[in-house]
Amino acid sequence: MAKPKKKVTSQERNEFIWGWIFIIPTMLGLIILNIIPIFQTIYKSFFKTGDFGRGNIFVGMENYQKMFADTQVWQALLNTLKYALMEVPFSIIISLVLAVLLNRKMRGRSVYRTIMFLPMVAAPAAVAMVWRWLFNSDFGLLNHVLGTKINWISSPDIAIYSIAVIGIWSIIGYNMVLFLSGLQEIPGDYYEAASIDGATGLKQFWHITCPLLSPTIFFVLITRIIGALQVFDLIFMVMDKSNPALMKTQSLVYLFYEYSFRQKDQGYGSAIVVLLLTVIMIVTVFQMIGQKKWVHYN
Amino acid sequence: MKTRRIAALCMCAVMTASLAACGGSGDKGASEGGKDKGGKLSVMIWDNYQEPGLKEIIADFTEETGIEAELQVVQWNEYWTLLEAGAQGGEMPDVFWMHSNESQRYMSNEILLDLTDKASDSELVDMSKYPEEIKELYTYDGKVYGIPKDIDTIALWYNKTMFDEAGVDYPDETWTWDTVVENAKKLTKEDGSQYGIAIRNDNNQEAYYNIVYDMGGEIISDDKKTSGYDDPNTIKAMQYIEKLIQDGSMPSMETMSENNPDILLKSGKSAMSFHGSWMVSTFKQEDYIKENCDCAVMPMDADSGRRVSIYNGLGWAAAANGDNTENAWKLIEYLGSEKAQQKQAELGITMSAWDGTSDTWAGCAPEFNLQAYLDMRDDMVVRPYSRNTVTWENRASEIFKDVYSGNMSMEDACKQIAEEMNATLSEE
Amino acid sequence: MEAKKKLSTFVIHAVCVLVSITMLIPFLWMVLTAFKSVPESTQVDPFIIFPTVWRTEAFTAVMENMNFMLLYKNTLLLIFFRVLCAVLTATLAGYAFARLNFKGKNVMFSLVLFQMMIPSQIFIIPQYIMVSKIGALNSIFGLVFPGLVTAFGTFLLKQAYMTLPKDLEEAARLDGCNIPQTFVFIMAPLARSSMVALGIFTAVFAFKDLMWPMIVNTEKDMLTLSSALAKMQGQYATNFPQLMAASLIACLPMIVIYVIFQKQFIEGIATSGGKL
Repeated sequence: MAKPKKKVTSQERNEFIWGWIFIIPTMLGLIILNIIPIFQTIYKSFFKTGDFGRGNIFVGMENYQKMFADTQVWQALLNTLKYALMEVPFSIIISLVLAVLLNRKMRGRSVYRTIMFLPMVAAPAAVAMVWRWLFNSDFGLLNHVLGTKINWISSPDIAIYSIAVIGIWSIIGYNMVLFLSGLQEIPGDYYEAASIDGATGLKQFWHITCPLLSPTIFFVLITRIIGALQVFDLIFMVMDKSNPALMKTQSLVYLFYEYSFRQKDQGYGSAIVVLLLTVIMIVTVFQMIGQKKWVHYN
Repeated sequence: MKTRRIAALCMCAVMTASLAACGGSGDKGASEGGKDKGGKLSVMIWDNYQEPGLKEIIADFTEETGIEAELQVVQWNEYWTLLEAGAQGGEMPDVFWMHSNESQRYMSNEILLDLTDKASDSELVDMSKYPEEIKELYTYDGKVYGIPKDIDTIALWYNKTMFDEAGVDYPDETWTWDTVVENAKKLTKEDGSQYGIAIRNDNNQEAYYNIVYDMGGEIISDDKKTSGYDDPNTIKAMQYIEKLIQDGSMPSMETMSENNPDILLKSGKSAMSFHGSWMVSTFKQEDYIKENCDCAVMPMDADSGRRVSIYNGLGWAAAANGDNTENAWKLIEYLGSEKAQQKQAELGITMSAWDGTSDTWAGCAPEFNLQAYLDMRDDMVVRPYSRNTVTWENRASEIFKDVYSGNMSMEDACKQIAEEMNATLSEE
Repeated sequence: MEAKKKLSTFVIHAVCVLVSITMLIPFLWMVLTAFKSVPESTQVDPFIIFPTVWRTEAFTAVMENMNFMLLYKNTLLLIFFRVLCAVLTATLAGYAFARLNFKGKNVMFSLVLFQMMIPSQIFIIPQYIMVSKIGALNSIFGLVFPGLVTAFGTFLLKQAYMTLPKDLEEAARLDGCNIPQTFVFIMAPLARSSMVALGIFTAVFAFKDLMWPMIVNTEKDMLTLSSALAKMQGQYATNFPQLMAASLIACLPMIVIYVIFQKQFIEGIATSGGKL
């Protein structure tokens, strides 16, 4: 039996037309600039790549087989996860608290906000150099002040966490700006009403701020997890290749860079990217599903 | 309100459209991304310490020929990314440096301009005047793709003050590798404030390659098909490094990875280290090194008396698909000519490839015994390379980390390196 | 009550000061290094905190060697156009994804998310080849290219629109507004603070972008601040005082931009009960 034809309302048609018009610029850009290269990369992962994109030999799953057997890759995945598990929660909690504090009317608010934001505008090269000196085992400020001789960035066990500290330091400003903008959109009446009802600051935080801020928190969580799993610059600039802790600190993107850019083995590098992509996708999908449980939209 | 909004949007659109024409020097209607800048050549290098000197030489060139050229410095990592992208279909600089790590790939894929005929016809360039092995780096299948630019040698740097304090005689031509091991121990202080010597796991060209060749070993076979790491002489040579580690004459791996050997030298933490001639331009700016340190020839092997310096050299190359290949060649020809090579050494940029022109380089930092570098030219071995140099070099350095931490014997490490290196070489 | 309020204010200030100091220590180090001599800056032992002599050589050298005005101009142009493109495209797309229903929406949005998940190093070579082929190397357009659209921004704005009350569009429709009118006059203005946030991020990431500007614009006149700074790192050694001095001079415009935009936050975009 044929399905009865659904009448398309003019409203629906309007939304269809305008919806597409609004997204065309972005989608066009994304597809040309980004999506096509990523499919090229996935394609390359099935090849033993030749020089300069010539002479690629199809090898099927060989790169993947090699990758699954490669302990270095799994270690890198573990390192990346460790980094993310430390950077994301800490940076979110710290910046959330800061944003709430700095959202109120208080003296010096602009000054504090600007100071928190400063790490974001410092040139990465300068930042790396400064932290290298701070963390230096023999002559660094940290060991000097604490009187210890800890190998902050050259001990395989703790180097990744030291890098995470730098990561947290750098990203607090970013998180804070996002939280502030989200907080701005919470109407003040809610807080007034709550105060009249006798709710204290902390209670207000849990019952008003958090739920109403949840879309922003959700956004920060997703983008920061993706960002953390893609960590590269910090490790690249702070850890020298001769660093004994490198094996236990290098991230998947670092490994990808090493293979694709340094050793010109783009096929293998691409396979590593595909692995990273899969991990990120799984994590993101879980989060998107989970958002129904705790994120409140109007 | 509505009109204002639309007007704003229109203005944005106009500005966005003007972006395309908003070029630096207004390259309108650029064809194929060609540099239609009235023949201005783009010259790309990665070392900003060499920039001032080379700029001068290029200015001379412009004066003589009227051809303009702009020198651009791009950091090492991005330099190769840019060349790679250019080779894959983008645009390449007209003239640029080539390095043995990458030269094979570029030559065999015909990315570089074939200079063979030009070089043999040229009056300024005389291929017989350049070191054979450097020429080889930039020759493929009998064709010349790069004109040698410079050479570099290695020397032993030591801290005179520390030697005086410990009552040890300064290094000279009588020193053997055994002397080094012996004195490194004497110059190490118990409290860890001073170490006799600093050699890092990746100081291959500067340090351990030299010992290996002195003692009759090799890193890679001449036909580049097998690894020389399992050669008994190689292992014997590498065990000298092991001895230094075991004697405690070297700082820990952690210290050396966080602080390069040259930083340790200039901070008064180590008494000896090995450095290539490329470090001289930075050393001569360091007050501590000027006051306390000097250089000497490399130690020799006690048995054979051999005193090798590993050497390498960059080459000037041009893009095969460039728009300006005629002028690009003129510039390369000029840079490789005796006159320019002479000036390069005089200005203290580097030691030049043209035979005999480097002597003036020693005058660029009279406070140091740079004659040592010149003397090392007597017995030079080209830096070991193959098509995939980076791959096996990195693996070797990585495996040596275990020797430094005491988890692996040098002999086992060398054997493992040989195994992996052979696998890599067989894929070439 | 009064005492309790004073105590909590004090505690809050104490926390802020503490955090501020932690944020600032690396900066202080940068500032101090900029005034040191080269040997002092890399001296590892003894540990030198304060320069023996406060030298301004690094600053003068850097001001002479680097054409900061030109670098600022290029960097600001880069930032301006990227912010413009990002905010325009993302606001439109974000609204559509949040509030309009159309076939293919979910597929398209998953592509948007997909792009965010990919490490940016993947794009460098393909995009360079694209820019090269259209002849836009060493131009502002070339610099802006990777930032013409933004998946991140689209996602951000989508979240922002999703928090707005649904009745607004209903009301607008009843008033006779069509979709673009509703968007331009009612919805978009309400997402202002997210747009400002997006503007700030785009500006910051454009400012810090290193790999791309370095390979797409190599000509002296077309360099950005980040490439010029990176160039200062020699292959074997770096003049740290100069690098620090240059970095400090470089981040000044960014701080100014931030301070200006930051006022937008304070000046009551969030009005009490504004949206209702």
